[in-house]
Amino acid sequence: MAFLDNSGDIILDAVLTDAGRYRLAQGNGSFKITKFALGDDEIDYASYNKNHPSGSAYYDLEILQTPVLEAFTNNTSTMKSKLLSIPRTNLLYMPVILQNTAESPAAPSGSSEIHTVCCDSTTVGDTSGAGFLIQANNTPAAYELRKGILNGFEPSKGENFIRADQGLNTNEIAATSAIDADLLETQYIVEMDNRLGSVVTSERDGGAARVSFIDDDNIASYYFSLASDPGYVEQMNTNSPNSNLLGPKGTKISFKIQASTELQTSTYLFEKLGSTTSMTKVDGIAQSVRYIDTMVKITGATTGYSLNLPVRFIKIPLV
Amino acid sequence: MATTFKTFLNNDITSTKTLLHEAIPLTGTLASGTYNTAGATTDTYDGTNIKNYAHGMFQSVYDYPYLSSSANHIYDLTVGYASASVLSGTEATTNMQAKKINMYNQMAQVLVGYDTTGSIRNFDQDGNLVETGAGSGTKLKDCFFINFARLLAKDEIKKGSFTIKIGTGSYAAPFADTSGGDGILTISDSGKENDYRVNSPAGEYAILSATAGYNKEISPAPACGLIFYQAGIVVLSSSIFLSGNTSALPGILSSSDVPFRPNGTYVTASLTGSAISASCNYLRNRLYDITFNNTTELNSTIHFCRVNHNDYNYSSNPTYLSASKIRVKNNTLDSPIAYFTTVGLYSSDNELLAVAKLSEPLKKDPTNEMTIRVRLDY
Repeated sequence: MAFLDNSGDIILDAVLTDAGRYRLAQGNGSFKITKFALGDDEIDYASYNKNHPSGSAYYDLEILQTPVLEAFTNNTSTMKSKLLSIPRTNLLYMPVILQNTAESPAAPSGSSEIHTVCCDSTTVGDTSGAGFLIQANNTPAAYELRKGILNGFEPSKGENFIRADQGLNTNEIAATSAIDADLLETQYIVEMDNRLGSVVTSERDGGAARVSFIDDDNIASYYFSLASDPGYVEQMNTNSPNSNLLGPKGTKISFKIQASTELQTSTYLFEKLGSTTSMTKVDGIAQSVRYIDTMVKITGATTGYSLNLPVRFIKIPLV
Repeated sequence: MATTFKTFLNNDITSTKTLLHEAIPLTGTLASGTYNTAGATTDTYDGTNIKNYAHGMFQSVYDYPYLSSSANHIYDLTVGYASASVLSGTEATTNMQAKKINMYNQMAQVLVGYDTTGSIRNFDQDGNLVETGAGSGTKLKDCFFINFARLLAKDEIKKGSFTIKIGTGSYAAPFADTSGGDGILTISDSGKENDYRVNSPAGEYAILSATAGYNKEISPAPACGLIFYQAGIVVLSSSIFLSGNTSALPGILSSSDVPFRPNGTYVTASLTGSAISASCNYLRNRLYDITFNNTTELNSTIHFCRVNHNDYNYSSNPTYLSASKIRVKNNTLDSPIAYFTTVGLYSSDNELLAVAKLSEPLKKDPTNEMTIRVRLDY
């Protein structure tokens, strides 16, 4: 996309997104605009210079000179960060959503802080041999060997999961303080590529979450709320252990990922979207695997704050 | 409670219709000069931007050699005459009489429809569709048809904007006059924005009239064709190449028939003695230029995004915070500030249906309010 001409009057470049055109083409009344939001994807607030020597008129000079891209028509490529309406003007701190790396089963693996999802029984490991979770004797490997690796074949049998915590990540406010009620995240939206996998509960029953909708790019959206999805969203106590947050804590969301049937049974998407690499199995032997890297996005529905988590689906190719 | 969406109220959304006009100048060199490969004086004149078909029923004109992917189709040309024309029955089978009658009938049934007996009407010079008897008027039975591509005509040709200039000189010098004039006959629908007909099944149409070339018309502004605005089709009578005195067919010129073909014979000879594509070639050779304005109907929905003083003063942008502290504030007394570049329009289930980008970031703080007007055109 080119930049918009910003030499004259302020103009608006408005387009329908692909999802909008799709709904319009359906002709069933699903194309109905009911609300709006403001986005600031291009803005880097780090350029706000509160110490500019020329005074406050120059604090936001760089921000106001930010060139703006033309509109993307892909609905998932824009409005990544939205402006927030909060009636109070005296806020100095706002909550964030952080990936939890402190609780052992939720910790990702490696320096890239990635979660790895094993897509079939061979990759998980079974009686036929060791995989990335199970040893050759069909017993789970030691935790350090399977850190950050999720059982995407049978999620209920895996211990590891993904967790994100909401709260203030500052030590300037006591961690024992409660987070303000109007900033407490009570609902989360999880988005992931539906071709690759689906969200399931982190609890032992391994129940699948209900998809809210799947858009034209195969991105599935799941809505979880504190009130109705206790298996996913939980309130954290002020003294909750195993959180990376330094300050007051709000809620947390935890879930596992189940590999799609296509990833479990076929290598088509691995060949199309992925590549190969070598990883070490729990028995210490290097193994060539096919992989697909993707992102799982967690967005707080209240504050709009979002977190993109890297996830890698892996599969041991058949010989 | 922090919120990211603001719901539109009833008075925040309105719809409008706008007519957008573009000027379309089609210079005659496109039709007969720029891509000429054979030379204008030959009977087989053709160009790389002219596409003929094996069926031979019409000819397409492009703005660039048509084998190139850059070429745009601009119009089609064809000729035809009615089975009731005096020309009918005078033509050898090899010269496509049946196809010319077919072309006339096809255009007539689409543009002027059928009479009460189910027979195809003929084009009428003044738009009176009475076929016979008193008031039936003059029928246009021998016609050239110019069908403009929708790429140019869009939703319709703007009424009163159409002009076509046609040379009436010799074949080799169609735009010159041996007596010193320019030899160009100007045919237009000038003033017809308030004088058009609505009795066509293909929408509104008006009567084209000619104004002076050197070969003066026999009466002031004689009717010599029809323009169908929504269909984007111009019907030109062969009378524009004939005199009122000497021709077997009625003509509009006061002096003599135009030597339409390279061999100096007239348009009647072309209609009965040449293939459709050859007659189109001869017409193209005489096209000086065509101009009109097209019309696009834009139906718009305008969304007024009203941002109040206490709306959208914070951001969820990851760079907005540093260690959870708002970067643009030093203390709690400072006003929050946010900057936005994008307006997203959403469905009730939070799917982004449309997006509007500002050309530069706008500052939002509690001291200002604004209304952003987002127009979506359909």
